[in-house]
Amino acid sequence: MTWDALWPLLWQGTLDTLWMVVPAALCAQLIGTALGVLLTLTRPDGLHPQRPLFRVLDAAVNVGRSLPFIILLVLLIPFTRLITGTSIGSTAAIVPLTVAAIPFVARLVDGALKDVPRGVVDAARAMGASTAQTVFKVLLPEARPALIHAFTVMIVSLIGYSAMAGAIGGGGLGDLAIRYGYQRFETGVMIATVAALLVLVQLTQWAGDRAAARSDHR
Amino acid sequence: MPDLTPPDVLDFQNVSKTYPGQPRPALNDLTLRVPRGSRTGVIGRSGAGKSTLVRLISGLETPDAGRLLVRGDALGPATRAAHQARTGLVFQQFNLLAQRTVLRNVTLPLELRGVPRARRDALAREHLDLVGLGEYAGRYPAQLSGGQKQRVGIARALVTAPDLLLADEATSALDPETSAGILNLLLDLQRERDLTLVIVTHQLEVVRAVTTHVAVLDAGQLVETGETAAVLRAPRHAATRALLDAHRPQVPLAPDETLRRVTLPDLNPDTLAALARAGARIVQAEPHPQGLDVWIAAPAASPEWAVLA
Repeated sequence: MTWDALWPLLWQGTLDTLWMVVPAALCAQLIGTALGVLLTLTRPDGLHPQRPLFRVLDAAVNVGRSLPFIILLVLLIPFTRLITGTSIGSTAAIVPLTVAAIPFVARLVDGALKDVPRGVVDAARAMGASTAQTVFKVLLPEARPALIHAFTVMIVSLIGYSAMAGAIGGGGLGDLAIRYGYQRFETGVMIATVAALLVLVQLTQWAGDRAAARSDHR
Repeated sequence: MPDLTPPDVLDFQNVSKTYPGQPRPALNDLTLRVPRGSRTGVIGRSGAGKSTLVRLISGLETPDAGRLLVRGDALGPATRAAHQARTGLVFQQFNLLAQRTVLRNVTLPLELRGVPRARRDALAREHLDLVGLGEYAGRYPAQLSGGQKQRVGIARALVTAPDLLLADEATSALDPETSAGILNLLLDLQRERDLTLVIVTHQLEVVRAVTTHVAVLDAGQLVETGETAAVLRAPRHAATRALLDAHRPQVPLAPDETLRRVTLPDLNPDTLAALARAGARIVQAEPHPQGLDVWIAAPAASPEWAVLA
């Protein structure tokens, strides 16, 4: 394949990958953070211990994280159709990608919040901070570098997961590599695709590390 | 006739507290009053119940039994916020927010109460000036020394204009010289602002240097209380004596020598001459808010003690 033919394919593949990953990452970060906060608050030594709720959430997160993405993709087809009206294509892939990333983010957020010193949280409580104030003025801002790091790791994972979205006609770089590189033995396309993925991941990681470092005043 | 005398700032009435899963109470039947304007030290070893006392006063825990009255009120959902605003807390580990500037750390208590931004910035700057850190408003805690962090902690504690300042091991993480500076600052602020100062510590020298009254806790119980000078001169309880002994320098003494502790403004030639006449030697000297804290070994019968005392 010539460069002239390859470029549009690579470009479209990159756009498709971004179209799947970015919205999924944003949704997952939002819902996953909320879930992570809930885990932190309800755990037995949290600010509002709720043992039954904590156990359910904790188990759900573990189950979500242990399901292979390709299985989740298939399992979620009815749900995906309900939300996007279709179960194939890049837009449809956003749903399973989001669902796969939520427990991942929740666990990372839970860990990040646990690292905020207990003394700082108690100090805020003793100053009269409500639970909401403790979450939004102390826990989340103090954990910000770790949250940015979690977001970065999650995007990188999603770029990897998105390759499997080809299984439901999702397109993207991973799909390109499989269709051309694997099924049609176009080694050149395979290498170019892998290179594009590599650049995407490196850029994401670099930007994430930089943002985390800049926001960290410890 | 109604009683017009203001209630004690703190009034513990047979307060007990046991944490879930713990075999023995953290505080057991504690009765203690802290009068307005006093400087009270609460001293005890670790595990004596000091932290629990702080958590009760700051509204983080509630008593299992007995009553804790703060300014005459029992702390409940309706009264807690108002009392928290009037109680300033200073912590051993400073507990500053690492991701906020010094200024934003000091504005936090005001922010939590919805004070408008311009007003809280002005108040915070005023209090940073008060602790001598006006220049540091834009820095982050990680850029400060331990003593500076504690000054920020004190500014934050005072920014809501409390009448009670509770210092929880406030100097335990600091070197002796820095500790002396912080204790002096606390003393000055207490006098200037007519604060009630409660100092919770395991350090006897802190109690000696700053407080008028002392309460000794041991294994969750109040074992001795009274005026600081009297308690330190003639401790009645074994736990108090143990605290006093733990602080004595471990040095070999001649049979007729005794070890005494004095506070001196400085070691000037006159003092040194007096010590020499008494046959005394300096065993240990540490900075102290009023000068130097000096341990002296001297013959028991030396008449020169009077010169130093």
